[in-house]
Amino acid sequence: MPPSRFPIPQGTLDMLILQILSLEPAHGYGIAQRLEQISNSVVQVNQGSLYPALHRLEQKRWLTAAWKQSETGREAKFYSLTAAGRKQLAVERDSWARLAGAVRLIFEEGGRS
Amino acid sequence: MRLLNWFRRKRLEDGLDRELRYHFDRRVADFVAAGIPAAEARRKAALELGGISQVQEEVRDVWLMTWLRDFVYDLRFSARSHLRSPAFTAAAVLSLALGIGATTAIYSLVDQVVLHALPVREPERLVLTHWQGDFAGGGFGTYDLMSYPFCRDLQAQDRFFEGVLCRATTVVNLSTGGDPSPAVAELVSGTYFSVLGVGPAVGRVFGSEDDGTPGTNPVVVLAHDFWQKRLAGDPGVVGRTILINQHPMTVVGVAAASFRGIDVGEVPALWVPASMSSQAIPGFEDMFDRRTRWMQVLGRLREGVTLAQARTGLEPWFKSMLQEDTKRAGFPRLTPERRRAFLAATLDLTPAPQGHSPLRRSLSQPLWVLFAATALLLALACLNVAGLFLARGSARTREISTRLALGASRGRIGRQLLADSVLIAILGGLLGIVLAPVAIRTLIAFLPHDVAANALRSTVDSRLLLFAFAMTIVAGLLSGLAPALQAGRRSLISALRDRSGGAFGGVQLRKVIVTAQIALSLILVIGAVLFVRTLEALLAKGPGFATDRLISFTLQPRQNGYSPADTSRLLRRVYDEVRVSPAVETASMVRFPFLVGGSWSNFMTIQAGERIATDRDVQLNEVSPGFFAALGIRLVAGRDFDRRDFKPLGDETYRAAIVNENFVRRYLGGRNPLGLRVCIGSGPDARPNVEIVGVVEDFSYRNLREESEQAYFPVFDQAGGQFYVRSRGNPDQAMRAIRSIVHAADPALPVTNLRTVDDQVQRSLSNERILAALSSGFGTLALLLSLVGLYGVMSFVVTQRTREIGIRIALGATGRSALWLVLREAAIMIAAGAAVAIPAVVALGRLVQAELYGVSPTNSLSIGEATLVLASASLVAAAIPAWRAARLNPVDALRLD
Repeated sequence: MPPSRFPIPQGTLDMLILQILSLEPAHGYGIAQRLEQISNSVVQVNQGSLYPALHRLEQKRWLTAAWKQSETGREAKFYSLTAAGRKQLAVERDSWARLAGAVRLIFEEGGRS
Repeated sequence: MRLLNWFRRKRLEDGLDRELRYHFDRRVADFVAAGIPAAEARRKAALELGGISQVQEEVRDVWLMTWLRDFVYDLRFSARSHLRSPAFTAAAVLSLALGIGATTAIYSLVDQVVLHALPVREPERLVLTHWQGDFAGGGFGTYDLMSYPFCRDLQAQDRFFEGVLCRATTVVNLSTGGDPSPAVAELVSGTYFSVLGVGPAVGRVFGSEDDGTPGTNPVVVLAHDFWQKRLAGDPGVVGRTILINQHPMTVVGVAAASFRGIDVGEVPALWVPASMSSQAIPGFEDMFDRRTRWMQVLGRLREGVTLAQARTGLEPWFKSMLQEDTKRAGFPRLTPERRRAFLAATLDLTPAPQGHSPLRRSLSQPLWVLFAATALLLALACLNVAGLFLARGSARTREISTRLALGASRGRIGRQLLADSVLIAILGGLLGIVLAPVAIRTLIAFLPHDVAANALRSTVDSRLLLFAFAMTIVAGLLSGLAPALQAGRRSLISALRDRSGGAFGGVQLRKVIVTAQIALSLILVIGAVLFVRTLEALLAKGPGFATDRLISFTLQPRQNGYSPADTSRLLRRVYDEVRVSPAVETASMVRFPFLVGGSWSNFMTIQAGERIATDRDVQLNEVSPGFFAALGIRLVAGRDFDRRDFKPLGDETYRAAIVNENFVRRYLGGRNPLGLRVCIGSGPDARPNVEIVGVVEDFSYRNLREESEQAYFPVFDQAGGQFYVRSRGNPDQAMRAIRSIVHAADPALPVTNLRTVDDQVQRSLSNERILAALSSGFGTLALLLSLVGLYGVMSFVVTQRTREIGIRIALGATGRSALWLVLREAAIMIAAGAAVAIPAVVALGRLVQAELYGVSPTNSLSIGEATLVLASASLVAAAIPAWRAARLNPVDALRLD
């Protein structure tokens, strides 16, 4: 029986961040909470790796950031998706779907033989 | 611009800090809300993040990686675009290579001669002593001279000094088996090596035991270069006996390889203890005389003692030493004023991390002048490249506007343009480094060979590479800055709307750049004119006697162990034989050579009714009868020396003196000098008893620039001599005859400094020649660079205004007025450049005053000449595009679009 939570696959974190931000702009903590909701059930996300990923995406200009007042009244850095980021998300979602499809296909073939 | 990440670093860091703290605080608050105690909550939150500083580090890596990746992209893109326009690239690379190569070459010499600290332990703690004021004694050597006993006394001042050394250089006849040849020896105290902290490569170096009783320590330490080159690195060198001035001495060791003495201009072949000074300097017996100064004294300050502390701390000791000196036996009798002057002397200490070097004194100012010139040249090359980039940038306006429209940030584009120029600069820098050693060798070739060959190297070391690299980066940034800023400022809308596709493009900025170029090159051209005038003036003046077919050479039999009597006999024999040689027209002998930068000098006393003491040194020499006639120096009054004036061997008093016109003018006014009596020295015990028998016209003694008072005495041929020989026909033939005559007299006696006097004149002018040649070279280069810049801008202006000019011509303007329209713009730039340059020249002129002769730095003729050359060349460069404008066909011009 597989462990209930497994580490997130390499490179998927960026996609998840883009996905979360495609719904609405959020600050790092908000993204972490959303990730935790997902990871509680399925995957385990190291919160420490979140920030390097955010900065990497920002440097690639898929995200922009601005300091805004958060729900607690304190200033927080809110990230939002750029046009390029939206495009990138579409690309990644597409390639992920194809990869997942391909993997399923291989497993199904293996199951049949 | 992400390049600015480095400068924005603080803002980035602060942001990250706030962001992470926000996360952390919220997380802790949530845990606490869930009922976890505060301390535990904090621990958990930190654990979850994996350590805050760890996260910070990772984010920093992200920043750096992106920056590097983008930079490599930019460079790749630049390389591709440079390859597409090879002519542009070549022009830009070449101008920067010239600038960087020249600057690096000059810097190499500046570094070697002026800046490089000695390769010894903590050189910054070394200080040089200098006797400020009246020394009341004599001496020989170059600068900062002290007596040997003074060094011994100073060693006792160990409150301030860890150790004190003294040293002097001399040329000895050195034989390692074969015939003796001249070699530079450094006479040093036993403390020399330990104070400097220099160890042996083989054997040992001197200790204090080697500097004991005079004459009892016949030991030497060899220089590493000498050991390698002349003794082929003989491993059994320790214990070997060599002959110094025919005295056998034992090699005890070889000094560390990197150490080449403390004087960059005079690299010793070996070191000899000061206690052997009588052997190394034949006839010298005054080592322990306190009133004979001939050595430099350097000290190593104690840890923590500052120069100022040592200076003030030594004051009482020095003053009491002066008092004591006046009471010693042998102290000269002084007039009361002289005595006061002596007691007012002070001891000055100067930092000496680079050692002591007369070469540095004579060469450092010209080198700095040249360094400034190359810096100007490099700035000019950068401006040129900036101008080229702007020109290309305007051709790329469309491309850049399109990229801006597609969402590239201005910063990104600006950085791309900077990468362009940095790449060009790196290529230029590499080429410059390849060129530099060639340039350094060329520079060294201007200096007298014996100095250059020993002292200066043309290798490119790590310091030089670092310098060239720094210059490259600076050049890259400078030449890219203007275009990058321009790209940042450009208005997108207007650029895209602009249908002529290139009419816009920083014309104003380019005009400013060209104006700056004109100003810089005018400064360099004026400098060139001044230095060339200086050299011309000195050459036209000449030494004051005919130098054609004149040869000189030196014989120093005393250094080969001759007694005074034998020396006299040998010199007479050589003199007589040379005189009658068929290759020789006239021959004469003097005691000290002329035009080598040094002289024998002293104060004098004249008895002319009242007693007159000279107020400054008179330059002295001993000459043979017929010397003045042989050199073509006119006797203005009285007679030359003859047989009557010589005394028997052993009697060392003079019977007659000849003075020059300067001497008569300065001290005797209108009086008839003939029959007056003079003597060397100016103390109360000076007895003027030598009769002036003649007056000669003025000629140069130490160098061509100096005007001096001179006095001559009949030559004493017991010390060694300098011969002046006028050849009959080809000087080479006479030189061969001289060598064979000396060889026949004594095969072991070397003939030194055998060269034509013309050669000697050229050598004495080496600084002036370097300055004249290089400043002309730099001036020409600068002029060419700015002409290219001006031509480029004016062509651009004409293209840009084609429509306007077309309309004017269509409306009846003449070609001439169109020509003037364009030329006027060029003329304004030239005038503005001159308006900046000329006040700058006036200000800078003071700095080079000392290097000039016969022309003042604000000489209006020179400035006018240079301005005229520059202005006419510039107008020609501008006239080509202007002429094109004048011949515009209005129909074509209006159709163009």
